[in-house]
Amino acid sequence: MSLDTRTTQIGTAPVNTPRVTSPHPAYKKRMRLADSLQILCVASVAIVVAIFLADGGAAKFGTAADAFTSLGIVAGLIGTDLLLVMLVLAARLPPIDRAFGHDQAMAVHQSLGKPALYLILGHAALLITGYALAENVNVVAETWNMFTTLPDMPLAFLGLGLMIGIVITSLVVVRRKFRYEAWHAVHLLAYLSVLVAIPHQLSVGGLLSEGAIARYYWLALYAMVASSIIVFRFLLPVTRSLRHRLVVDRVDAVAPGVVSITLTGRKLDKLRATSGQFFVWRFWADGLWWQAHPFSLSSAPSERGLRITVRGLGDASQQLPQLKRGTRVSFEGPYGLFTENARTSPRVVLIAAGIGVAPIRSLLETVSFAPGNATVLIRSHSLGDTYLVDELTDLCRVRGVELRIIAGKRPSGVSTWLPADAVRDGISLRTIVPELESSDIYICGPRPWTDAVVRDARSGGIPKKQIHYERFDG
Amino acid sequence: MRARAVALATLASVSIVGIGWQLGTQAIDASQSLTASSGGTAIAATVTATTDAAAQAAVTARAAADAAAAAQAAATAATAAAASAAQAAAESGTFTGAVVQTQFGNMQVSVTVANGAIIEVTPLQLTNRGGRSVDISNQAAPILRSEVLAAQSAKVQNISGATYTSEGYLRSLQSALDTAGF
Repeated sequence: MSLDTRTTQIGTAPVNTPRVTSPHPAYKKRMRLADSLQILCVASVAIVVAIFLADGGAAKFGTAADAFTSLGIVAGLIGTDLLLVMLVLAARLPPIDRAFGHDQAMAVHQSLGKPALYLILGHAALLITGYALAENVNVVAETWNMFTTLPDMPLAFLGLGLMIGIVITSLVVVRRKFRYEAWHAVHLLAYLSVLVAIPHQLSVGGLLSEGAIARYYWLALYAMVASSIIVFRFLLPVTRSLRHRLVVDRVDAVAPGVVSITLTGRKLDKLRATSGQFFVWRFWADGLWWQAHPFSLSSAPSERGLRITVRGLGDASQQLPQLKRGTRVSFEGPYGLFTENARTSPRVVLIAAGIGVAPIRSLLETVSFAPGNATVLIRSHSLGDTYLVDELTDLCRVRGVELRIIAGKRPSGVSTWLPADAVRDGISLRTIVPELESSDIYICGPRPWTDAVVRDARSGGIPKKQIHYERFDG
Repeated sequence: MRARAVALATLASVSIVGIGWQLGTQAIDASQSLTASSGGTAIAATVTATTDAAAQAAVTARAAADAAAAAQAAATAATAAAASAAQAAAESGTFTGAVVQTQFGNMQVSVTVANGAIIEVTPLQLTNRGGRSVDISNQAAPILRSEVLAAQSAKVQNISGATYTSEGYLRSLQSALDTAGF
C-alpha cells in the first residue's frame, strides 16, 4: 500500500476528541420526520384492512368461495396501497428526500415492487377462484365470464399484464441486460397500469361503491398521489429550469475523459442546494438532449454558480467534454441526503474512490467539525490517478483536515476496499481512523467498492446512522 | 425503522384495524338482527304448502299473464286456487314488499296474487353496489322468480353464489306475501 499522508494539519493533531453526548440536532429533527413518514406508510395498509373489516368483511369467510373472494379483495387493497406508496417514493417529494435521501427512498421503492406484484397477482387468482366456486364453473370459464360480462375488467386485465412486464424488465435491468432508456420507457407504463386499474375498483367491487366513505378515501388517495407526481416530477423541475436559466459557463479538463463543468444562472441561492447533493441534468446540445444524467456537485453551490465534475462513462456522456459555453441546461433537483443534514456525530471521515471524489470535494468545503476532527481518505490504483487532488489538498490545508491517499490494487477474490498489502497486514478502517465511533462516515464510489467500505465500517461496530453513502455504477 | 417508529406504527395499525373490526361487527350484528326479525315474521305468516297441481296451474297462469290476457290468467288461477281450496282467504292484487337492506344495496320486490296463487314476482330494486353485484342480481333474480312460482312460497333455497341477493329477495317477497295475507 502506498500511503500519501499530506501534511495538511498545521499544528492541529487530533488533540481532544469531543465526547459523544446527545445526537446531532439535525439528526433528531430528521428522525422525527422519518418516523412520521414510516408510520403513515404502515398506517395506510392498516386503513385499507380496516375498510374491509368495517364493511363486515370478517363474516365473509364462511364458505370456500367466500374465503377466496374475501382474501382476494384484501390482497387487491393492500397491493394497490403498496403501489401507491411506491409511486409516492418515486415522486421525489421534498420531505421524503429530506428524511431518507433519494437513494434510500428508491431502495424501498425497489423492495416493494415484488410484494406489490404478488399481491395483485394473488388478487386476480383468488377472485377468479372465488367467483368460479360460487358459480360452479371452472376458472377458465370464469375468467372469460369476468372479461366479457363485468364492467371495466378488460382494462383491469391490461393493467395486470403491464405490471408483470414492468417488474420483469426491472429485474432484468438490475442484471444489466437491458438498456437503461428502454427500461425507463417501460417503467413509465407503471403510471398507465395503475390508472387503468382504477375503473374496476370503483365499479366491480361492492366495497368502494357509490356513496361509501371508503370510495372517497380511495379517490382522495389517488388524487394525492397523482398531484404529488405532477407537481414534483414535472411542474417543479420545469419551472425551476425556466426560472434559473442555467447555462454552461466553462468546461475544464481534469484528467482524460474527466471534466469539471461550471454552470451559471439566475438567483441560484433560491435553489437551496447544499454540498454533497446531486441534480439530474439535461444538456440541450446535439446528441445529448435526450438523456438526463444524475451528477453530484463537486464544489459548494453559491449564487455565482454550480460546479459538477463528471467522467464520461458511457452513452452520450462521452460528449460532455465538448460542451460549448452558453449551452442551455435543464435540471431536476437538488436531491440527496449526502449532506450536512445527515450528520449525527461530531467527527467526520470522508472516503472516496474514482469520480466519487466529486461530492466529497464539495462536502469538504462546508462540512462542520471541531479543528482537527476530520479525515479525508482517497482510494486509487496508483498515487497519480486521482481526480481533483490538488484542490483537495488546498482545501484540507485551509480547513485543517488530514488527507490520506491510499493507493494500490485490490486483491483478487477477496471483497475489500483496501489494497492487497493492506489486507494482508490486517489494516481496516478502524486502524486508519481510530476515532471512528465518534465520526460520521461519508462514502462515495463504485457500487461494490462502496459496499465493501460500508461492511468494514459496520464490522468495526459503527451504527448504520453514522454511515452515509452514495453509489454509482461503472 | 427505529424501535420507536415500529412501536408507534404497530400501535396506530392495531387501533385502526380495531376500529374497522368494531364497525364491521356492528354491521354484521345489524344484518343478523334483521334476519332474525324477518325470520320471526316468516314463521308467524301462514304459508300453505301447495300441491303439484296448483303449482303447475300457477305456472300456466304466469304464462298466460305474460301474454297480456290478465283476466283469463286470473280465471285460470282461480281454477287452480279452487283446486287447492286452502288459499281462498288470500286477497288478490299486487303487493309491494318491504325494502330490505343488504351488504350490496337495497332489495325490493312486488308480488301479484290472484285467487290464492302467486302469479308474478317483479323486482323493484335489486342489489346494485358494484358491477359484480349487479351481475349476480341479474343472474339470480329470474332463477328465484321461477323457483318461487313453482313452490308458491318464499321458502325456496338460496341461490349459491348469490346469498345476499337471495336473502334480500326472499325477505322482501315474504313481507309482500304477509301483506297479501297469503
